[in-house]
Amino acid sequence: MSPRAGRRAGWAVLLVAALLCGLGAWSYGQARGDRSLSYAKARDTALAEGRRHLATLNSLDGGDAKRVDDGLRAWLDSSTGPLHDQLERTRKADAKSLTAAGDTARGKVTSAALTALDERTGTAELIATVDVDVTPRSGAAGTQRKRFGATLARTADGWKVKALTAIGTGGGR
Amino acid sequence: MNSTGTDTTDTTDAEDVAAPTDTPTDTTAVTAATDGTGQADNAGTAGTADGTGRTGTVDAADAVDASRRRWPRVLGALLAVALIAAGGALYAEGRQLRDTPATANLALTDAEATARVTGDVSSALGKIFSYGPGSTAATRAAAKEVLAGKALQQYAALFGQVERQSADQKLTLTTEVVRAGVTRLTGRGAHLLVFLDQVYERRGRAPTTASAQLTVTAELRDGRWWIVEIGTT
Repeated sequence: MSPRAGRRAGWAVLLVAALLCGLGAWSYGQARGDRSLSYAKARDTALAEGRRHLATLNSLDGGDAKRVDDGLRAWLDSSTGPLHDQLERTRKADAKSLTAAGDTARGKVTSAALTALDERTGTAELIATVDVDVTPRSGAAGTQRKRFGATLARTADGWKVKALTAIGTGGGR
Repeated sequence: MNSTGTDTTDTTDAEDVAAPTDTPTDTTAVTAATDGTGQADNAGTAGTADGTGRTGTVDAADAVDASRRRWPRVLGALLAVALIAAGGALYAEGRQLRDTPATANLALTDAEATARVTGDVSSALGKIFSYGPGSTAATRAAAKEVLAGKALQQYAALFGQVERQSADQKLTLTTEVVRAGVTRLTGRGAHLLVFLDQVYERRGRAPTTASAQLTVTAELRDGRWWIVEIGTT
């Protein structure tokens, strides 16, 4: 191969390499900048974390004062905003009454869906059905089926529950 | 390959001496340069292989040239490899960002389709779970318009009993969807979680309200969402 052709081939290889690099960068940039992709990911994250927090907020081990305290701290960790403030305000009274009652509840989210998600403001609306296994200190254990609507807010520490409402208990009320 | 420039200067110098009045044309310069490399290449191989022709001094000079010539090639090759590797890495990273089950689910990301399936399924559930003593036939007909597959079979099995009950007890049921959320949505199918409030009215008694939660599977057929499966949560 003559040096001229060799040089040309060399440049061609470099050009192709540069093009490939550019193509890779472009593809990556597209993925990074894809709004619906980040939106879909935010949706799945909010749903997963919302489910987890809802289960926590429906669970409490009332065995003794320490466990109740741990449970209440977990509630605070799962909440933010108005719900967090409210739980903090009533924490002492809650601890006393829950320790006195001594019931243990274990919540499990059986089904959940987001009904709204605003990525810009970092808020989401979640609906969920929760089965709560309640074991009273004395008496028979039972399962309560509850349904909730929750407002989630994005915090520095992930999505948390800002407001929680039980939706229509029905059953003759 | 770039350091042929050195050769060019050398040979051009020689030519300048040979023909000092004329600036060499491009062609001659290039030919000279080519010749120069040709010689150098020959020298390189000759030096090791048979040692015919060139003197030692020329060999030494050409060896320096050859090593100078190698550097840009190595650099170029390294650069090319680095570029390709970087491009590949970025592409793989981008793929990884995209390669998530999140993108396959259009719930909420496709706002219009989400609103449509929620609306279709909600109104369908309201229709098929609402009836009065005299209107069970209308409800049954409405069910055929919105239910398909397994859901239609389930419903048919259940509804015979409902019809009798409604007639016997003068029972009226009104169902209203209070909340509905799409858990999964694709171009053809959807899964929803629906909260219902149902009001039972028996003649001569106070109405009672019950809440129900259903998971619904729907399919898009002929531009319309059909409920194909109804389950409890």
